[in-house]
Amino acid sequence: MSQSYDRGLIEDFGRWREFTAGMWAWVFHKFTGWVLIGYLFTHIAVLSTSLQGAETFNSTIQGLESLALVRLLEVGLLAVAVFHILNGIRLLFVDLGVGLESQDKSFYASLVLTGVIVVASVPTFVSGAF
Amino acid sequence: MSTQTPDTETESEAEQPSSKPHHERRLAEKRERAETKEAERAAAAQDIKGETVELKVFRFDPEIEGKEEPRFDSFTIPFEKGMTVLDALIYARDQYDSSLTFRHSCRQAVCGSDAFFINGRQQLGCQTQMADLDWPVRVEPLPHQDVVKDLVVEMDHFYDQMEAVDPFFDPDDLPEGELEEQRQSPENRENIKLSTRCIWCGACMSSCNIAAGDNKYLGPAAINKAYRFYMDEREGEQKRQERLEIIEQEHGVWRCQTQFSCTNVCPKDIPLTEHIQELKREAVKQNLKFW
Amino acid sequence: MAERYSSFRSGSTAWLLQRITAAFLVVVLAFHFFNLHFVTHAADIEFAGSQARMQNVGYFVTMVLFLVTATFHGVNGIYNALVNQGIEGNAKRAAQVVLGVAGLLLVVQGIRVAIALAGF
Repeated sequence: MSQSYDRGLIEDFGRWREFTAGMWAWVFHKFTGWVLIGYLFTHIAVLSTSLQGAETFNSTIQGLESLALVRLLEVGLLAVAVFHILNGIRLLFVDLGVGLESQDKSFYASLVLTGVIVVASVPTFVSGAF
Repeated sequence: MSTQTPDTETESEAEQPSSKPHHERRLAEKRERAETKEAERAAAAQDIKGETVELKVFRFDPEIEGKEEPRFDSFTIPFEKGMTVLDALIYARDQYDSSLTFRHSCRQAVCGSDAFFINGRQQLGCQTQMADLDWPVRVEPLPHQDVVKDLVVEMDHFYDQMEAVDPFFDPDDLPEGELEEQRQSPENRENIKLSTRCIWCGACMSSCNIAAGDNKYLGPAAINKAYRFYMDEREGEQKRQERLEIIEQEHGVWRCQTQFSCTNVCPKDIPLTEHIQELKREAVKQNLKFW
Repeated sequence: MAERYSSFRSGSTAWLLQRITAAFLVVVLAFHFFNLHFVTHAADIEFAGSQARMQNVGYFVTMVLFLVTATFHGVNGIYNALVNQGIEGNAKRAAQVVLGVAGLLLVVQGIRVAIALAGF
């Protein structure tokens, strides 16, 4: 059918308002996954300063931690990690076939819980940086 | 199909550039006719007494000049209690534009031919009440499938995937007597009951984000079809193994990302995600057993 | 996959490993965050403190396992995302090689770091 018309990925991101809970869970899980693997590479890169000895390691870590931006990014990382963990638990249950009827509620629960944990952790994360 | 007559004439004239003035005159006439028609349509819409609903329908026809570009047409439909989207489409076709094309047959959610993208969701036209929707109602062809004309989409790929899982029985041994039945226990029937409801409408496949990206992915309907036979106790052992190998390929069950889109749109309420997950666990179990 | 009769079916094995590493990572990642942000504040981290932690064999082994499982989970996750997008042929082969090499380098470098920190 060379004459037929390919509407392409019509539904994908232009229609985000119509996404259901399961779809949002997938989008967030994928996004947080990308962030976490990206962070793992940078994390090991920063820790690699330990190969040059204790002083380089200490000055690098303390230099980074003194930056307010880094502290804020750490809060972001916490949010990303906590969501990935909580939604990951939800997905493990889905894989075991447990509670599939309430998969939308468990997604909202993981969102709310992520918010609560992150807000509660902000003081600890930014103390001394501002 | 009287509306198509002038178009065929203009097409044949387009091959002879010498008759240009004639061609222009015909086009002007055509425009005039279209305007009169539009006016008639507007007048007809104004004549309707009582509540009306606006129906916005996706239009596309590669064979007619001026319709190759997809667009939306609006129709004013007199609303009646109990009116379905399919009823509204039929009214639009019968009263306003006989070239409006869509598939439908049984009108009772059994044949599976009228799955559309209604207000951003895959639903059967005959099963969806106009009263339950936000107005104006927007009807589009199923996403992620090529559009042939208006609301008609190419279903070949969907049928290919359905057939890829060998959707038929292949028992190891048949009963002795010619008229002997192949019995199934009531419990087993209960297990596969929901999976047998599939009407091949393609709503699930259209809603699936992964099927849209990975063209080789079997898709929810085909995997559900495989489930229906795999879980049936009358199935032969040989065929069960073969079918398991089909669904546990790279583009089989593993592609499912449990977004629940298919389960949400299925007009027959088949728990598709649950069935796919069960087959994933079954495949893992069978492989661990092998080791 | 149908043409080579092998007991190793990559689909189910990768899927299962992704889940097993997930279950492990849920616990260890939570522990890691708690340990290095609440027990010890990130700003107070020093080489000596890290060395003291890493010299505990149980902690050292956990961290190395954490690295290996996280790398597998992440790299396999990216690969799955690409396959879901319908990647095929040479592009798919290239993705396998690039991701495999990147993962391997990450693990090797990570283990070097772990040894340096532990002072072994």
